[in-house]
Amino acid sequence: MSLPKVDLAPRRGPGFLQVVGQDRMKLALLLAAVDPLIGGVLIRGERGTAKSTLARALAAVLPPREVVVGCRFHCRPSAGDLCDECRKRSEGGRQLPLEMVPTGMVELPLGATEDRVVGSIDLEFALSSGEVKFQPGVLAEANGQVLYVDEVNLLDHHLVDVLLDAAASGRNFVEREGVSASHPSHFILIGTMNPEEGELRPQLLDRFGLCVDVVGLRDPEQRVRVMESDLDLAGPASGDEGLRFRLAEARRRLPEVELPRNLIRAAARMAVDQQVVGHRADLVMVRASRALAALRPGPSGAVRPAGLQDLMEVSELALVHRRRVAGSWVPPVAEGARDQGADAPGPGGEPGPSEGGEGGEEGGGETGEGSQSSSPGPAGEAASGRAGPMPAPPAASVELEERYEAGRLQLPHERRRRRGSGRRSRTTSQDRRGRYVSSRWQEKTTDLALDATLRAAAPHQVERRSAAPTADGKAIQLERQDLRQKVRQRRIGNLIVFLVDASASMDAEQRMDATRSAILALLREAYVRRDRVAMVSFAGRSARVVLRPTSSVDLAERQLSRLAVGGTTPLTHGLVAALDLIQAERRRDQEVLPLLVLISDGRGNISLRGDEPLREAQAAAAEIQRARIHTVVIDTSRDHPPPNQTAGSPLLAGYHFNACADLSRRLGGEYFALFDVTEQGILRPVAEALRRGA
Amino acid sequence: MSEPRSVYPFTALVGQTRMRLALELNAVNPSIGGVLIRGQKGTAKSTAVRALARLLPEIQVIRGCRYGCDPLSERLCLECQQRRADGEELVAEPRRMRVVELPINASEDRVVGSIDLEAAIQSGQRRFQPGVLAEANRQILYVDEVNLLDDHIVDVLLDAAAMGVNVVEREGISVWHPARFILVGTMNPEEGDLRPQLLDRFGLCVDVEGISDLSERVEIVLRREAFEEDPEGFQASWADAEERLRVQIAEAMALLPQVEVGRPVLEAIARLSIALDVDGHRADLVGRKAAQALAALRGGRSAGIAEVAEVAPMVLSHRVRSHPGQRPPDVSEVASRVLGEA
Repeated sequence: MSLPKVDLAPRRGPGFLQVVGQDRMKLALLLAAVDPLIGGVLIRGERGTAKSTLARALAAVLPPREVVVGCRFHCRPSAGDLCDECRKRSEGGRQLPLEMVPTGMVELPLGATEDRVVGSIDLEFALSSGEVKFQPGVLAEANGQVLYVDEVNLLDHHLVDVLLDAAASGRNFVEREGVSASHPSHFILIGTMNPEEGELRPQLLDRFGLCVDVVGLRDPEQRVRVMESDLDLAGPASGDEGLRFRLAEARRRLPEVELPRNLIRAAARMAVDQQVVGHRADLVMVRASRALAALRPGPSGAVRPAGLQDLMEVSELALVHRRRVAGSWVPPVAEGARDQGADAPGPGGEPGPSEGGEGGEEGGGETGEGSQSSSPGPAGEAASGRAGPMPAPPAASVELEERYEAGRLQLPHERRRRRGSGRRSRTTSQDRRGRYVSSRWQEKTTDLALDATLRAAAPHQVERRSAAPTADGKAIQLERQDLRQKVRQRRIGNLIVFLVDASASMDAEQRMDATRSAILALLREAYVRRDRVAMVSFAGRSARVVLRPTSSVDLAERQLSRLAVGGTTPLTHGLVAALDLIQAERRRDQEVLPLLVLISDGRGNISLRGDEPLREAQAAAAEIQRARIHTVVIDTSRDHPPPNQTAGSPLLAGYHFNACADLSRRLGGEYFALFDVTEQGILRPVAEALRRGA
Repeated sequence: MSEPRSVYPFTALVGQTRMRLALELNAVNPSIGGVLIRGQKGTAKSTAVRALARLLPEIQVIRGCRYGCDPLSERLCLECQQRRADGEELVAEPRRMRVVELPINASEDRVVGSIDLEAAIQSGQRRFQPGVLAEANRQILYVDEVNLLDDHIVDVLLDAAAMGVNVVEREGISVWHPARFILVGTMNPEEGDLRPQLLDRFGLCVDVEGISDLSERVEIVLRREAFEEDPEGFQASWADAEERLRVQIAEAMALLPQVEVGRPVLEAIARLSIALDVDGHRADLVGRKAAQALAALRGGRSAGIAEVAEVAPMVLSHRVRSHPGQRPPDVSEVASRVLGEA
């Protein structure tokens, strides 16, 4: 397919400088443009804050680049990296012809398939000549340009991996469909995302050199300017020309900018203090400082060395997404001052205990943990210590540790899916739903990947046609080994249904509160919003769906705000209501992965069908097991004997009968006794169950 | 055209004034960004959307263009650009606007488009087969039960809605085409929330309820009966009212560019968004456009505080954040307080 060489850029928006405010975001983008080695920018923020607009506007101000004429991969000899074709052309010291071309932006849409990202066999060429030729993909197009991924947190894992590989090595290696090729792929990766939609994988997070968290403007005056500037967008973008010149100048200055040793030291110290993972942060801070010095030269455009001022301005951009401990950002002013030789004591009056401290917050923090941490190792090592150096008052440190603990609760999702265990072995590719990401050969093709099939068949067409000519000599001859199956991926969420005993007992209130906060924690921690959580409570004479399956923290918070407790224990009602709820969800989506979490003392005393309450509950439990619903039973009774003692004991509800353990056996689930019901106490078994692949 | 021949007239709808107003405002200025209609089944949501299409004036499209390119636009699709580059004279022709429906079980290749099966098999050519997003360009894209849409379909929908372009990099195909549409969605909130990112893409949002007024309910049944019995006759009896509204909308569209929104009004909009702590700035931009469209619809030359107050609930109700343990703020109440000060 020959694309017309007319106007390929699909979008046109406002100019970079026409976007009102958002100075941090602009700074980050410009720095990344000055020095592509910084490694791109991730922009996180609430909806409607000009994230995408600004990212796209960057393309218009990028200086032109010098590429090899006619190279399909936009090779730039100045980058010191050539594709196989250019290497061949330049053999024997031949000079490659060069030309200046505009630099732009290549977008990776969320619905992209792998063949288009990495490139694949040239179909039409293969059909006509029977030869294999590589057809470049997005990674080739992006070479030397900006690669933009909107909603990058929603990009398919598979594509993320491909992207990471290329970003890390600067080269795209292709071994597929009989094509074997490699070409340079250096790009400035820019991603935007709304964290409400789910977090980014830590690995990808670290790959972005800089990160900005944007919020909407809170100043009415600026907001009015946003509305006014929206009116002028019909006109041409203004101010871009000057900015492009500034960027070109900054790039020219960049190699000449000096990096004083104390700047590098200060960057390293900041990285240690902020407990970042790995060493990329130091490097990025140094490079960004240099880029800033190049962008803002001295008087009359003279090259000046990078200074601590530059470092301070860029440090947050490099650290915000790499810090392991959540917390408010403390501008590292004291660090810089100390490094310059003014070794001033902290406000607490003590001589700062070496590198551990955060300037002003150390006074009196030298208890247990604090003193242990006074000499932290390099950042990488600090990662293994759980609490890490945390010279803060004990109370605060406990809180921080808790927060960190919660942050580590990583729920496994479809990773488990790939392993394919037990009843969940049915692969997503077989129900023809989900996003088509790549293709493979398989014994029996049920979901034909036409494009891949054609590519597989193409190189053989010339010989097949000569062996068995068709009527028009054009139609493609397919053979069985050509057929390719679509590999689809679909986000599969867990459905976690909490079934909570709200009957009157000594810790009913606590139970409800703990469950409520466990639900909220689960929803907040969900890696991408695929998990849904529901809650059914039972008390008095009925069960009630308190929270319908949702992934919305807001909704959960609203609906769980008031939970009534008290009354008798209609356990069976609860089990049946939970079962109904899960079955209804299954009817809607067969692939839903349910997990039922029962939190109760298991002593039902209200009959649903006129039978003995315990017996009824056991029957309901058996039904749930038959429905192949995985369960976790959290026993909240305080006087339970060990569960194995009662195994096989008669039904009679004697004092020593462990009702919950019995129930959990009948449910085919897991049993946990919990003396004090807490949020963590509930979350742990749930996370465990999910991790094991239920 | 797959539209049913007999469409219930928009003007014959009983009640649901907010929903109707929201749709009319979008008709006057499509860049408001569509409507999300939240409510139960059987509240005339779909009927109203289909009826709206009949009220919109015809648009000019380039003849033979698969995407319905606007001949006056400076950004044509790749195919039109190619045709022009080949020296072809592009001819405009009128086309009626219509409702393109996105079924919730639609597959991704049908939505964004895919490789053309026939061309590929017969001649081994990689050609692009446009999907629903192409069909919806410059039309109304209607998604019933939008909250039940598959995640990955929502993703591509968002991508397209954000910038009015559909970028395709799949199945060996690499193209883009314009996909600018009025997004209208309906949902029953009891069946689940909408992702915040998608929620924000809807310019306006209205909550509809079943009508509780007895005489109005009776009127609904009577009109519906009359329509079922004799669609043509019913339409004929409402033709005048339809024509009046059509003219009103057309005049409002013409008037729109001249309607002024003064600085104090813009400030009021900004203050209102800040008071309600909404995310981002889309609320402001939509608020200005909606107030402007409302003024135009009523034949006014400038939009004032009154217009802002009237559209505020539609613009803001789906954008307010609820805080833990608190009820979400009442938009109309905050609006009357903040705007009262202005």
